[in-house]
Amino acid sequence: MTRSTPSRSSGRTGLVVLGVFLLLVLGGGGCVVSRYNGIVAGEEKVDSAFSEIDNQYKRRNDLIPQLVATIQGSADFEEGVLTQVTEARASVGRFQLPADPGSDPAAQAEYLKMQQGLGSALSRLMVVAEAYPDLKTTSGFRDLQVQVEGTENRIAVARRDYIDRIQEYNTSLRKFPGNIVGSLFGLEKRVQLEAAAPSEREVPSIDFGGE
Amino acid sequence: MSTLLGLLAAAVLFAAPPEVQVPANDGWVTDLAGLLSAQQEEQLELLMESYKQGSGHEIALLTVPSLEGETIEGLALAVARSWGLGDEETHNGALLVVAQAERRLRIEVGRGLEGALPDVVCGRIISHVITPAFKGGDYAGGIEQGIVAMHSAIGGDYGPLERTSRSRRTGGGLSGLIMIAIFALMMLGRRGGGGGRGVRGRSDSIWPWLVMGSMMSGRRGHSWSGGGGFGGSRGGGFSGFGGGGGFSGGGASGGW
Repeated sequence: MTRSTPSRSSGRTGLVVLGVFLLLVLGGGGCVVSRYNGIVAGEEKVDSAFSEIDNQYKRRNDLIPQLVATIQGSADFEEGVLTQVTEARASVGRFQLPADPGSDPAAQAEYLKMQQGLGSALSRLMVVAEAYPDLKTTSGFRDLQVQVEGTENRIAVARRDYIDRIQEYNTSLRKFPGNIVGSLFGLEKRVQLEAAAPSEREVPSIDFGGE
Repeated sequence: MSTLLGLLAAAVLFAAPPEVQVPANDGWVTDLAGLLSAQQEEQLELLMESYKQGSGHEIALLTVPSLEGETIEGLALAVARSWGLGDEETHNGALLVVAQAERRLRIEVGRGLEGALPDVVCGRIISHVITPAFKGGDYAGGIEQGIVAMHSAIGGDYGPLERTSRSRRTGGGLSGLIMIAIFALMMLGRRGGGGGRGVRGRSDSIWPWLVMGSMMSGRRGHSWSGGGGFGGSRGGGFSGFGGGGGFSGGGASGGW
């Protein structure tokens, strides 16, 4: 009788330990699963933010032939500026972005760089076109100007949103317990978008005075 | 063109996003620059509430005395997103922002209205409807005509307008304003003339007629609803925005 008491109590202790262990495993597992899902959802947001940038670049790409045609109609326009734009557009068109751009940061970065190059060629073209009064005053050109400005604004917005999504995702991977879950499942941080291409920083003068 | 440079500069600024100060919302019209009289504000809010009742889309107005270093694009986007303009699913909101000191304005268009209010249409509303009035010092007129033109382009209906002697006068003035806006836009379409194809051709020739059509239906809606609208409806019964806030930078900017 005296022998059975300790054995019964040790059995109970064993049960308690087992229960606590199960709770920890289950609770920990649940926590890991929900954390993992959260991180993956964040990664999907990054990818969809990138495809939004890509959409806006396509929108700009579709706009350029029309713009070039309108400007070409204008007498003795500087061919060089036009050629730069068409060439930049062609090289962007030749570039094959992988189906899952997030998996190939190098290709993604190169693609973004080429698009930035096209953007600065385009903005030079628009600046030069301003110097042709007969062009500037046609409503066809003015409409295109509004569309180019609108597209550049959308690109800027999409790029900023992309930066925000990457930042959120990378932060979720850096914080505890996301860092453990992340390394457990081999989730990697995404390369942040470069602040801006050098060509963007070389904006000669900024006049907010409008037309 | 300088705006494009401005946008590029904005893109540089966006890289390290400074927190934009979003002003507190004050209903459909948030007139911080004080460009409207109390009566004009009330009439505009009535109109905007009627748009909401009629077609569900939300058009709001913000005027600020100064941009305080922010770009008009940055401010408009931050405000439209933060106020949650438009329905949560359709994102059918639009915001007109006027910055007095910098003499800049912008129409920011929610994702759900980008088809009805493409950048070109916003640009034309700004350069041919709003800014001519602003240049003459008529802020209230420019704003109202701009809002009406936006509504017309969307092809929206009117819900019940308050039936008081004052609002009936608004209604009368309104159709006049719509007519002016449409004629201005049609003239422009004409002047654009031959050659263009695709988007440009379409926007030059067809859309003023679409606007015209929508105006017709809009006015019909208005007069029908007038029949049973006695009592009841409160002026500008603002009950908050739809909470959507889905804006991707669509719209156009301008200056006067």
